[in-house]
Amino acid sequence: MSDLFVVDSLTVTLPTSRGPVDVVKDVSFTVGRDDTVGIVGESGSGKSMTALAVLGLLPRGAQTSGSVRLEGTELLGKSERELRAVRGNAISMVFQDPLSSLNPYYTVGLQISEMYQTHRGGSRRAAKHVAIEALERVGIPDPGRRVDHYPHQFSGGQRQRVMIAMALCCSPSLLIADEPTTALDVTVQAQILELLAELQSTTGTGMIFITHDLAVISSIAQRVLVMREGDPVEYGSAEQVFSDPRHEYTRMLLDAVPRIDDEVSA
Amino acid sequence: MTLLQVRGVTKQFVTRSEGAMAKRSTFTAVDDVSFEVELGETLAIVGESGSGKSTTARIAARLLEPTSGSVVFDGQDVTRAGGKELATFRNNVQVVFQDPFSSLNPRYTVERIITAPLTYQGIAPAGGRRAFTQELMERVGLNPDHYRRYPAQFSGGQAQRIGIARALAVNPKLVICDEAVSALDVSIQAQVLELLMRLQRESGFSYIFIAHDLAVVRQISQRVAVMNRGRIVEVGSRDQVFGDPQDEYTKTLLAAVPRINPEWDARRRQKEAS
Repeated sequence: MSDLFVVDSLTVTLPTSRGPVDVVKDVSFTVGRDDTVGIVGESGSGKSMTALAVLGLLPRGAQTSGSVRLEGTELLGKSERELRAVRGNAISMVFQDPLSSLNPYYTVGLQISEMYQTHRGGSRRAAKHVAIEALERVGIPDPGRRVDHYPHQFSGGQRQRVMIAMALCCSPSLLIADEPTTALDVTVQAQILELLAELQSTTGTGMIFITHDLAVISSIAQRVLVMREGDPVEYGSAEQVFSDPRHEYTRMLLDAVPRIDDEVSA
Repeated sequence: MTLLQVRGVTKQFVTRSEGAMAKRSTFTAVDDVSFEVELGETLAIVGESGSGKSTTARIAARLLEPTSGSVVFDGQDVTRAGGKELATFRNNVQVVFQDPFSSLNPRYTVERIITAPLTYQGIAPAGGRRAFTQELMERVGLNPDHYRRYPAQFSGGQAQRIGIARALAVNPKLVICDEAVSALDVSIQAQVLELLMRLQRESGFSYIFIAHDLAVVRQISQRVAVMNRGRIVEVGSRDQVFGDPQDEYTKTLLAAVPRINPEWDARRRQKEAS
């Protein structure tokens, strides 16, 4: 397996009123093509900070050390301008809340086209065509008409589809999805997970999937990194982490998940 | 004994479009909903967003008046009760909300928060407020020495325990939990669920447990009502609804719940048991 994306001893330090705090401590993992790494943890585990560090989106004053390489190119320490050429292009992201990630004043078509034109150039007409194709790929019915609609005219699940369309329009090598299904209803969540897995198998995009939900991780990730208070607790194949967890904390987490198929005493 | 009866309750909201040609239309959030809660049981109401489950809970708690239909508590029609009648109802029915921090006054100490329901009811606890607070704190698993602290000094799970203690202060017959564990991390959620079940065993009150998480509902409930688009599409015992669902929507909902790979899970449990 070729290592598309390598995170090596990443440490993130944030300044606080009580002095600097390491919110991500010595985290390492690799993502291959067509590979999904799930990062799972409870609140304050540093899972989202890890993603933000990768994208150079950390809050002001944050310090990073270690190495983050995409196809051999070091990303840590790149200038904002250089990173802007990477974000949305070679690495794109999908966040939890599509409504706050989309601009309510622009049609979804314009927002996808803008992303495409920023990185790839070309005419407005060609970009709109890309937007229609992207919407079609994520399963938005009647994309030729829907491309001119505004975010509020879409349901929550459709908005997340639009975000995924936007994230994939430049054919990124790596997709970072941070709690992409957490705000969605369970039936819609199932559809979005299916869509992500299907798109990944057709495009070969590597994926980092961040969530607090162990069941979701189990259904989508090949490898799992468990984090707690900034520490990488356990890292291994999904099968190993779920069937033979090495760390006490992983075991505790797994035990705490309520099971829907379990026999329960009355 | 039937504690609460909700009979044919409908709730419509008037919506208004903007602009010069503004149109008024009504939206039916809850549509002819009926159910009963027995003393000592837990009835879960599950559904996705917009299903009407929270509106139903608010009507049952008399935080909202229904457009039509009635709410009968302990044999008394309380649908439009006011004054003393409503005060008695509030003494018997308490609510625990999803977000512990926004439902606790940040400027009040734990003691003031927990005893607030008594203050409103004009009840003076026998052994004094402090002893009363500390006893309740102990019951919900909080350190009783922390009675003078403020909500911000507690974690999310602890704050939810304060909300639960406050609900129990008046010794209610019915506690309505509206997504009471949804905002909590999974390890904390398991502890709070455990607490809710223990308190019920000790005191014998009923719960209406509103939730979108079916696995959580399975753990805590005896009966389950499934809501979709304002209607109850299926109601039955927990084992019937989960084990042999009749309604198509219930089946879709159950199938969509993400599961930890069952084969991996079984292997782990086997290993841990040995």
